[in-house]
Amino acid sequence: MLHAFRNVKKTHFLPYIIASPVSCRKRTLLCLKSHIVRIVSVNSKMNVDPKDFMLTGLKNETVGRLPGKLNGQQFVIQDCENCNIYVFDHSATITIDDCVNCRIMLGPVKGSVFFRDCKDIKCVVACQQFRTRDCKKMDVFLCCATQPIIESSTGMKFGCYQYYYPDLAFHFKDAGLSIFNNNWSNIHDFTPVSGETNWSLLPEDSVVLEYMPLPDPESEFKSVRISTEANRSIVPLTKGGRRTESDESCLFVFFAGDYTTANARKLIDETTTKGFVLIQTKEVSMRPEDVNRVFQNNAESLTEWITKGPVVALELNGDGVVEACRSIANEVFNGTKLFVSESKNTSSRDVDNFFNFADMQMGL
Amino acid sequence: RLYGLLSILRKLKSAPDREVRILLLGLDNGGKTTLLKQLASEDISHITPTQGFNIKSVQSQGFKLNVWDIGGQRKIRPYWRNYFENTDVLIYVIDSADRKRFEETGQELAELLDEEKLSGVPVLIFANKQDLLTAAPASEIAEGLNLHTIRDRMWQIQSCSALTGEGVQDGMTWVCKNITAKKKQ
Repeated sequence: MLHAFRNVKKTHFLPYIIASPVSCRKRTLLCLKSHIVRIVSVNSKMNVDPKDFMLTGLKNETVGRLPGKLNGQQFVIQDCENCNIYVFDHSATITIDDCVNCRIMLGPVKGSVFFRDCKDIKCVVACQQFRTRDCKKMDVFLCCATQPIIESSTGMKFGCYQYYYPDLAFHFKDAGLSIFNNNWSNIHDFTPVSGETNWSLLPEDSVVLEYMPLPDPESEFKSVRISTEANRSIVPLTKGGRRTESDESCLFVFFAGDYTTANARKLIDETTTKGFVLIQTKEVSMRPEDVNRVFQNNAESLTEWITKGPVVALELNGDGVVEACRSIANEVFNGTKLFVSESKNTSSRDVDNFFNFADMQMGL
Repeated sequence: RLYGLLSILRKLKSAPDREVRILLLGLDNGGKTTLLKQLASEDISHITPTQGFNIKSVQSQGFKLNVWDIGGQRKIRPYWRNYFENTDVLIYVIDSADRKRFEETGQELAELLDEEKLSGVPVLIFANKQDLLTAAPASEIAEGLNLHTIRDRMWQIQSCSALTGEGVQDGMTWVCKNITAKKKQ
């Protein structure tokens, strides 16, 4: 009877079954069904062929998935060689195993992206968690919501995510990822080797196209209008851990509202045009008790503003950046609920207070 | 939540001891921390890979429940043994949708069940990530792991999705039953 049960196709298989406790000796089909505590309503994955969500054993090909083809499901890539792989959709989680000499573009992933036993990979990845094990020589343009980790991997290089295709912003939302939460430059290595570093940052002026080419114009992806230009990137380019030329930073915070994302982008445009540098960004919820500690002055009005939703904070850097930010706040963002550092004497403290708070909030 | 840490604690009041220790182990990326946060009714949409360990403690009316979630990367599994002592229940979390690593996780579980400091400790195996497309059913995992050969302790395998919470309550109900059973020995 147990044997018959085993042969039942996945589409008929009830999703949740508690296996017989040790003490139960009955093995009839009837008995097994009686152990089902709860019949769960039909899962979205039930009428779907797992093979549509896997790429296995491909060589010298241009492959992937167009928008709408994954729709948040799990995706699996394995045993591919010399392939250009484009996943233009959001997914639950992606594992990439035993791939060699591939160029891989992964649309936003709600959970983890995990590379195992891969070599000579160039990729563009957006995810909540980034993990590698036993990998060698990877160049990664990354947007990661948490600290990326590597294990037993060498020759790993990281740069800031830089990509655009028309549905990408929606896919970020579908995957529950914020374009402002990107820890691409501080990697945790579980297997550091003294005297060597297993990871480093990609050259700042790296041209994404030289790593991740556009899809073959004859392929099914010819209809996807991609851009790898810095100023079109859905994820703002941040300097992250790279060394800065100036000691002067400024904290700029937009409180929740209808145009928060657009305002943040506008600020980035205005400041980068003037030669200032975007160091880091964060989108995080605050509670009233956090306001005093983080903003110190002017806490009263801010306490009300933080209840409307998460704030978007930016750290900008450059000589004269505080003055420039204050004047942009006046001229461009008059009437918008925001916070700007008061002076270059207090701005470093603002930056530290805010981003330390954000890091604590977003860790466990 | 019905299976939240506090409610587990309430169910344990019949336990003679006042402190209960649950150990959460399994390969990296299995969903241990998501499970811990789910049990603590916390936000599970933003979780960092565990570098050391996470612990959640709840206290209620003189009783204390500690849940230890230990990082599962290969490099740091040798440190698991530092947490074995005084464990009342072991919860072993498996990513049901990571078929490539079934053998590895089976191996680690087998080694745990051979550990003297964990001898007799009841084990709940969560066949996690049932929400994912390639997830193997609990029965298949039970078979692959030869769970039926476990004779020296109480065990149970439970399908779940730590992300959605499905199946978690059922697993924790078994945990409660078996903690009090063990403590009464």
